[in-house]
Amino acid sequence: MALKRISKELQDLQREPPANVSAGPVQPTDMFNWQATILGPSDSPYQSGVFFLTINFPTDYPFKPPKISFTTKIYHPNINANGSICLDILRSNWSPALTISKVLLSICSLLCDPNPDDPLVPEIARQYKQDREGYNASAREWTQKYAM
Amino acid sequence: MMPDITTNEELQQQQQIKYGELVVLGYNGQIPSGDRGRRKSKFQLRQRTQANGLKAQRQHLCKNADEVQKLTQADFHSISYTLSRNQTVVVQYAFDEDSDMFQIGRSSENQIDCIVMDTVAGAKTFDDLTVPQSTISRYACRIVVSRHSPYTARIFAAGFDASKNIFLGEKSIKWKNDRNEMDGVTTNGILVMHPEGDQFDTNSKPTKWKEVSVGGSVFDLGEGRLKFNYQLTPPSNTDNILKDGSLIDLCGATLLWRSVEGLKNTPTRRLLEMELDQLNSKKPQCPVGLNTLIIKSQPFSSTSSTQPNAYVYVLCGHVHGNHKWGVKNDNNESRECPLCRTVGPLIPIIPGIEPAFYIIPNADNESTTSYCFHPCGHMTSQSTALYWSKIKVPYGTKGLKSICPFCSIALSETKPFVRLIFQDSIHSRQ
Repeated sequence: MALKRISKELQDLQREPPANVSAGPVQPTDMFNWQATILGPSDSPYQSGVFFLTINFPTDYPFKPPKISFTTKIYHPNINANGSICLDILRSNWSPALTISKVLLSICSLLCDPNPDDPLVPEIARQYKQDREGYNASAREWTQKYAM
Repeated sequence: MMPDITTNEELQQQQQIKYGELVVLGYNGQIPSGDRGRRKSKFQLRQRTQANGLKAQRQHLCKNADEVQKLTQADFHSISYTLSRNQTVVVQYAFDEDSDMFQIGRSSENQIDCIVMDTVAGAKTFDDLTVPQSTISRYACRIVVSRHSPYTARIFAAGFDASKNIFLGEKSIKWKNDRNEMDGVTTNGILVMHPEGDQFDTNSKPTKWKEVSVGGSVFDLGEGRLKFNYQLTPPSNTDNILKDGSLIDLCGATLLWRSVEGLKNTPTRRLLEMELDQLNSKKPQCPVGLNTLIIKSQPFSSTSSTQPNAYVYVLCGHVHGNHKWGVKNDNNESRECPLCRTVGPLIPIIPGIEPAFYIIPNADNESTTSYCFHPCGHMTSQSTALYWSKIKVPYGTKGLKSICPFCSIALSETKPFVRLIFQDSIHSRQ
């Protein structure tokens, strides 16, 4: 089922690409390893940045969630230095009705609205809560440095 | 065999005025593995080329068995009421040019027009239909229709056997009514229920089940199926005239009467098939497999390729393909819907294709593919789901229950039907 479903998702992404995100296999021969890009949302300090992510599908996809991480460095309370993302739908709240397209859009929302109460990087979360201007400045700086 | 003559007769029959349809509850368009001769899931009652109705002509009081034998062996129809060993009333019947009679029962003898066997809830093959002991009488009841407009149809308990007799033995319940005529009831009883309302739609309401006698009088029921003192109680106001939507219970099978007028306002088989095609042409998708679901009209044939492939989560109505995610407690009673995470039963969807069970729709554009019964999964219209969930029919030894008319399975008491939510396409979903 996994291969069929992944192929169908790719088809749908190519036919009707969602705004500000794109995704596809790294090698055309290997459907289980994808690369994705997210354009930094315009109402966020990540604006104009191009962020790369890797997507690894488990063999029992979609019954298990895909492994998604940022390869581009990003300054965000829920994304750590390894690019790991703290997002409930990628872990305990995964549902097989979710698609890569929907997950990438959820990650876009996370960039606009960080969740400092469930942080992966506590220092950034603290700064986000107490010094929003400082956080915005650092996020913008990292975006310019690593994502442009 | 003389095929030409048969064909001519059939052709002639087809051209006759249609009185109505008698439909056995629990079959979805046909008996599993196909209708067989006069054993069908639905009977068309049409005007006969020659009237065969009967009217009571004379009442004989017989003092001994010889007299009874002489009368019952004579070439006329009769009903005999054995009062005691040396007292039998034989009512002689003569042909009535103004009415047609249709006999219903378990017997396959020629005088039975509609062969009806015990309904087995959820039966999928012909073998499933075998019951060790039938409770339906061989000559259960008869319907007499006036040959003149408005073609009034009346129901009577008991049917005439091959020797044109109905026998009510010494032990059967019988009495003399206020017109000084003999009357009686059959062993398991013939019950009727006429819905209240102008027509067979969601505004019509169920009424109490009553018992009909051999003479066509209708009586309130006592506590059980047959605990009643017929002599002391006058027949109820409800008479034995069948109206669109009337139900007849033979104790083992329940029949629905549909009038020609009512059927004119009911979806046809063709319309049901068209709406099913329309649903499939929208390519409903499984949100998990992202594959197109196909809702087929015959999911239970023997080949495995025709297994149903559309399922609904009963508590939320989301339609999915068959997958194994969200299984709790190892069964389909508690499954988590991937779309909304509601945990509840998951059941297959099977189109309900017997048009006679469809209620006259409340609106012209009512969809016939929008609801399904729970737990059997028969898909139907909203008004049909609503109506049958309110109707209770005799259900074996378990009293009265609401059933799915397409398969006779008792409906869930907490959630008898589900509104279906299809995901038409992955893109229009967002």
